[in-house]
Amino acid sequence: MDLIAGLIQTSILAGGVLALAALGEVLAERVGVVNLGVEGLMSLGAITGIATVVATPSPLLGFALALAVGFMAGMAFATATVIVRANQVLCGLALTLMGTGVAAMIGKAYSGIPAPVTFAPIAIPYLSDIPVLGRALFTQNILVYLIYLILPFTLHHIMFRTRHGLDMRAVGENPAAADAAGIPVQRIRFWYVSLGAAFAAGAGAYLTLAFVPSWSEGVVAGRGWIAVALVIFAGYRPWTAVLAALLFGLITSLGFVGQARNWPIAAPILSMLPYLGTIALMIVPVLAWQKVRRLMAAPAAIGEPYFRDVR
Amino acid sequence: MALRIQRVPSDNLAGGIAARLIAIVLALAVAAAVFAFTGADLGKLGGHVVKSTFSNFGMQDVGLILTPLILTGLAVMIALKVGAWNIGAEGQFCAGAFAASGVALFVPGPTVVILPLMFVAGALGGMIWILIPTLARAYADVSELITTLLLNFVGILLVYYVATGPWLDSSGFSFASTKRLPHDIPALWGDVHWGLPIAVIITIAVAAVLNFTRWGYEVRIAGSNPNAARYAAIPFRRHLIVVMLLSGAIAGLAGMLEAVGTAHRLQGGISNNFGYIGIMVAVLARGSAIGVIAGALLMTLILKSGLALQTQGVSVATVLAITGLILFFTAIGDELSHYRIVRTKNEPQEA
Repeated sequence: MDLIAGLIQTSILAGGVLALAALGEVLAERVGVVNLGVEGLMSLGAITGIATVVATPSPLLGFALALAVGFMAGMAFATATVIVRANQVLCGLALTLMGTGVAAMIGKAYSGIPAPVTFAPIAIPYLSDIPVLGRALFTQNILVYLIYLILPFTLHHIMFRTRHGLDMRAVGENPAAADAAGIPVQRIRFWYVSLGAAFAAGAGAYLTLAFVPSWSEGVVAGRGWIAVALVIFAGYRPWTAVLAALLFGLITSLGFVGQARNWPIAAPILSMLPYLGTIALMIVPVLAWQKVRRLMAAPAAIGEPYFRDVR
Repeated sequence: MALRIQRVPSDNLAGGIAARLIAIVLALAVAAAVFAFTGADLGKLGGHVVKSTFSNFGMQDVGLILTPLILTGLAVMIALKVGAWNIGAEGQFCAGAFAASGVALFVPGPTVVILPLMFVAGALGGMIWILIPTLARAYADVSELITTLLLNFVGILLVYYVATGPWLDSSGFSFASTKRLPHDIPALWGDVHWGLPIAVIITIAVAAVLNFTRWGYEVRIAGSNPNAARYAAIPFRRHLIVVMLLSGAIAGLAGMLEAVGTAHRLQGGISNNFGYIGIMVAVLARGSAIGVIAGALLMTLILKSGLALQTQGVSVATVLAITGLILFFTAIGDELSHYRIVRTKNEPQEA
């Protein structure tokens, strides 16, 4: 039973990184912009987080600064892709290269230093006393509650229950029609892409302040790309994105358990699991259920810049 | 008469080249500004780069780096021709290096026989690595961009696993490398081996096939407008599959040449970002195979400068960041080169 409780606890903790990054990507893709810079943004956030707590012992400040750095990088990305309307794939890849490069440059000084303070788990009274699951579910750090409950609830509500959310989705599905209806297409795209980027950088800070918790080059290890894949798998919806992230957290923690218990599988092979699992989950559902394709379809105008005079 | 700015659907060659040059100059300027800000002596750094690049050994390095970059750039470029993003050249590179090294280590025989066999193994390795993303894209419309990319991590881990585990050099001197491979690619000049002319020949061959055959024409149509291709009864799916597999094979070959010709062993981190920088090469090439050689040369000089500066305390990551900056500016410049200033006789009428 301890094994299962530990597995769940680690899955939730590990999945949080992916969930936050995926929620950010849901925002960007729902308004029609693919941001492939998540990996770079996470690296930037990760180093911002660790550099902040080394300087001053406040993980919350580290997380907030990471959000700010991500927001600024996101505005640069949005300026290129939304205002100039440059190719989104290229700008995203560029952001990934720049982010990982710059983070590694700064990170040289912080390599291997454990984070002096981290987001400590908070036990919720009574609930955390439930046998087995209580500890796993209700003794987590504050970001976990934010990422798994507050954020998806808020985003889902805004996206599917408000007029503004309808505008957002219209911009991603048919910007020309949205424009004709008086919805400010470029403004909505610009701010949601920037906000999504802030989430991605926040996920990086979560990684170094709550999960790993230290910096090393390559600490993000493709999690940004897994988050992008996960958004597709989750059909661009906040709640499914969070659940999918949890599933990937489980795959990751299975690898940890394997290493801790000395399973006769080499560590590099176990480390392949999340990537292979992601690929399998991208392919299998589409093959198994043809209906899924329509239900989980991408926003129609995804990846396409909007020119008012070219229709 | 009035001037106004107008966007046209296609960009022009001069604008594209200008955009690239400006992007590179801007990115290097930003990098120089950052170095200067951190108190580095720019003149000294620049002098060091020039001195270490334009020496006998420096030019040999250039030849050695150029070889894999031409091929990974070509791999990404050819996939783009059919409208597919092969971001997985890094993984296919690893798979090619792995397969070729396996043949070298475990198949006995004279070099004349084994060398061609390693070629085939390298290409096949890369092809197998891209097989699942290819089929998933062709039959289930799963984004090949993400599946090929995720397999990079698996490829790097695979090489790391065999180089530190089952194939580890038993002499005890190395920690993440096989023993020296028993076969070499013949040397051309110093350390530069026949891989370089082979890469150039493959590039020219691909350019010829794309530009002067019916198949190449169909591929280009399929890539630029899939609907028009379907209307003209061009088998889009078949072309997609063939081109993507070819792309994987070319990237695999790059890995084979690197492991057998340059490193002489399979070692952890053999791919060395060559696959990712190949994306950069393909973008700089603007869809032209000859442009791939020019783009690869440019990126080689940047990589070589990075290597030279490593001795001056500049980290490798700097090169990655500068590469990203060039890509960013190039993407913006590409879009801006769609705009023209046109003269109109009368003011355009407001609708």
